[in-house]
Amino acid sequence: MVGEFEYLILSAAAHLAEEAYGAAMREVIETTGGRTCSLGALYTTLDRLEAKGLVETWMSAPTQLRGGRAKRMVRVTGEGTRAAREFYQAVIRISRGTAWGESRHNRVPADTA
Amino acid sequence: MKGQGGVSGVGWRCLEAATGLLAPPEREVVLGDLAEMDRGAWRGLGDVLGLAARRQLALWRSWRPWAASFGLTLPASLFLMGWSVAASGAVASLLGEPAQARLLWLSLSRLFLVVSWAWMAGFVVGAVSRGTLWASVLGCCAPCAYCLSEWPEHGLSGLRLLIFVLPGLWGVWRGRRDLQLGLGWAVFFAATATLAPLLWGKSGCWLLWPGWYLAATARRKQE
Repeated sequence: MVGEFEYLILSAAAHLAEEAYGAAMREVIETTGGRTCSLGALYTTLDRLEAKGLVETWMSAPTQLRGGRAKRMVRVTGEGTRAAREFYQAVIRISRGTAWGESRHNRVPADTA
Repeated sequence: MKGQGGVSGVGWRCLEAATGLLAPPEREVVLGDLAEMDRGAWRGLGDVLGLAARRQLALWRSWRPWAASFGLTLPASLFLMGWSVAASGAVASLLGEPAQARLLWLSLSRLFLVVSWAWMAGFVVGAVSRGTLWASVLGCCAPCAYCLSEWPEHGLSGLRLLIFVLPGLWGVWRGRRDLQLGLGWAVFFAATATLAPLLWGKSGCWLLWPGWYLAATARRKQE
């Protein structure tokens, strides 16, 4: 199963689809995910995900916006999608019945049982 | 353009210099990301140094840098220092005395062995640990500097050390570039590595591994 940060990267790449690359994914993780993301953590985790076959990366053509420099584009593979879904479902399952989970109103309070 | 304001000044020049720690393709990607994000050069510098540190840590999870720096460079530099002094001493005495065939053979063979063994060790270090060469350089320089400062009266001059340092550096350069030797050269160096402890009359099985490594990883002709 993937780790939490790996899951965030997979989700950011899936959200961005054709526009998934380092700077854009970092922006999504920080604004939507609400956590800081260093370039070091991002690129070393991307390498790990690529080694596991969960993402594919390639270099784009240089763009003017980036001072004529290339982007490292990212695409989530089928295996990556399965791994992210597995992680997501595990989080949903384990969260059921907790104070922060979706079904917390169905819980029987301990003092009335 | 979002990034135009942040890509100039001293901070950005420091940042660009720091990206020299990264591999060339990654350097371009990171500089592009930082130019696009425009969060300030100093924060970008932190990002680059953080990434470089993570890359180094990842390299040290492998056996390669440990073998190159602690398994080869450190003991080899101590060992080759001794050989260099002995070989240069033998050659010096040869120049000062009437030529004797046995002495001539001994001096030249030792000199040849020092040079070829140093080149072979350098090649292995360059091929095995390209990303952590700085550690191997430290592993070579530290004992040399220590011995030069502690025992200058024992004939340990910088010139004598050059007998192994120069072929060693040449070997490192070739090792980084080529990674593998042809089978013929690899067998030659493996034989040299095997001969070395025999000729010097000292035990040292670790002396053999660079030669055997080269033979094991030698480039075979394409079928």
